[in-house]
Amino acid sequence: MTKSTFSLSNSLGLLALLLIMIALPFAIALFDGQSPAAVLGSETGSAKFIQGLLIEVFILAIYALSYDLVLGVTGLLSFGHAMFFAVGAYWTGIAFKSLGWGVGVTLLALVAAAVVQALLFGVVLARVKGITFALVTLGLASVFHIIIQATEFSTYTGADVGLQGVVVPEWIDTVDQRFRFYVIALLATFGFYLLYRRFVDSPTGRVCVAIRENEERALALGYNTFYFKLIALLLASITAAFAGFLHTVHQPIVSPNVASLGFTVAALLMILIGGVGTLSGAILGAAVFRLLEYYLERWFGPSASFLLGLIYIGLVFFLPYGIIGTWHISGFRLKGVTWLLERGRSQN
Amino acid sequence: MAPLLETHALRREFGALVAVADVSMQVEQGTLHSIIGPNGAGKTTFFNLLNGTLKPTSGRVLFKGQEITHLPVHRTAHLGIGRSFQITNIFPNLSVFENIRLAAQALGSDNFKLFRPFHRFKTYIERAEAVVDLVGLSAQADQPARILPHGAQRKLELGMILAPDPELLLLDEPTAGMASEQVPELIALIQNIQQKGNKTIMLVEHNMNVVMNVSDKITVMNYGQVLAEGAPQEIADNEAVQTAYLGELYSPE
Ligand SMILES: Nc1ncnc2c1ncn2[C@@H]1O[C@H](COP(=O)(O)OP(=O)(O)O)[C@@H](O)[C@H]1O
Ligand SMILES: [Mg+2]
Repeated sequence: MTKSTFSLSNSLGLLALLLIMIALPFAIALFDGQSPAAVLGSETGSAKFIQGLLIEVFILAIYALSYDLVLGVTGLLSFGHAMFFAVGAYWTGIAFKSLGWGVGVTLLALVAAAVVQALLFGVVLARVKGITFALVTLGLASVFHIIIQATEFSTYTGADVGLQGVVVPEWIDTVDQRFRFYVIALLATFGFYLLYRRFVDSPTGRVCVAIRENEERALALGYNTFYFKLIALLLASITAAFAGFLHTVHQPIVSPNVASLGFTVAALLMILIGGVGTLSGAILGAAVFRLLEYYLERWFGPSASFLLGLIYIGLVFFLPYGIIGTWHISGFRLKGVTWLLERGRSQN
Repeated sequence: MAPLLETHALRREFGALVAVADVSMQVEQGTLHSIIGPNGAGKTTFFNLLNGTLKPTSGRVLFKGQEITHLPVHRTAHLGIGRSFQITNIFPNLSVFENIRLAAQALGSDNFKLFRPFHRFKTYIERAEAVVDLVGLSAQADQPARILPHGAQRKLELGMILAPDPELLLLDEPTAGMASEQVPELIALIQNIQQKGNKTIMLVEHNMNVVMNVSDKITVMNYGQVLAEGAPQEIADNEAVQTAYLGELYSPE
């Protein structure tokens, strides 16, 4: 009970995984008959292609991680989470394209924008709870979705076509510097994961978990729960905005879809697949989500989305706590739903 | 000496229902002050008004002479008012230890240490270990709170109010639903805490033998009003109390 979640074997496992992920493109290149130098030279081939796909996984993983902090850890049901990502994606595009800013300034301003929007959500947070919070955040995100599609701002946002022709600084250009950007996205994913682990294990993070479990009780103990929820939102907002930044650099176009309800639901699906509130589940869920989508489309063409739907129903049905959640089902570091489901069962 | 807690014409209405009707009460420092009365008398609502869980319709609450009528519940906790619940109110999926550790951490100054592991904050760990031991839950410390039997959950509820070491403890039916053979142990624990720590306790309890034995003072509530107040013997002898409430529950021998 007083143990840290950072055991030595745990850290070694993570380090091994990191090294494997770094070595992976070289292994693929060799397998494909290319020389390892092809990876460093960003030469066309499977290695480059798979790095591109994995970069998308990493970006989604960071995004899903931020949603898991809000919903899975703190228990805040937000339907406006896509806006957190979209603000980062659009901001980066506009800063590079219309303002001609460098990466450093863009990121600084991006953090500021993320803080402002988290505070905006915080204003809602102070007033409403539960499903009302979900609906109001959906409203906020929808307004944002409408604004970025408005023709009045099309010189900046590209209206309903989206932002096109973003010029990315050469040193992180994902076409010529694929491996470099792959490592950046990989390290960012690991970095956010470790940061989140540490947060959830801190006095503050523990209170966030207590709020998910029973907010009324947390208040009666003397916790001003508003500030803890706000901190979770701030952290998630900055994280998701950073994922949006990576997205714009990688693509480098931004579609208004990233601000849609559908993209929030995507985050929900990813954490459901992986295991709500487990953090590592968010990353695994993002991988399953993106890779399934890609390979099913490749193998089955137009019927892919139907198959995807079936698979998701199956996953939720057979693994109601997600992959990671079901993995340590005997433990109790799970979410309230477990308890509800068990009560439901014992009453039958 | 001024009372630790006093209320002046404290009132709470729910629509047409007057749950607490202009109650004025004084709770002296260092006493065990029981509140009894039939179900629906307004005892729980009265506690909710005292610690800021509910806002009163009118009237005032003073703690150590300071006005606390409109303070929210998370503020009164910091002033030293602890509260336990009639209906078990815990963090179901967290361990017994973590439930109590969170209670111990609440009033400290480390709540906004975002990236340091909780186990580095030894004060709360040690306090939680002591309290888990005190309420007799050491064997279950690592179990999730939800799987505890009811009696053990009541002990956990008590542990959660003890952990931050409040000056005034509002105990709302701490023995509710407990097996009768477990009751004396819990009551002895409460008495012990009160006497050793010179605590002030307000106790809502239905077991009249317990109430008559442990209380310094008893207030009887009925329909939101104070029906009688006094030392245990005075209450036992009071005819109005006998007819309204004690009749079948308790008769002085
Ligand atoms: N939140 C509420 N809304 C409406 N009525 C309530 C509420 N809480 C309590 N009451 C009513 O107030 C009265 C007093 O309840 P309560 O304080 O729980 O009594 P006690 O604890 O003495 O049994 C009851 O009639 C109860 O139904
Ligand atoms: Mg009651």
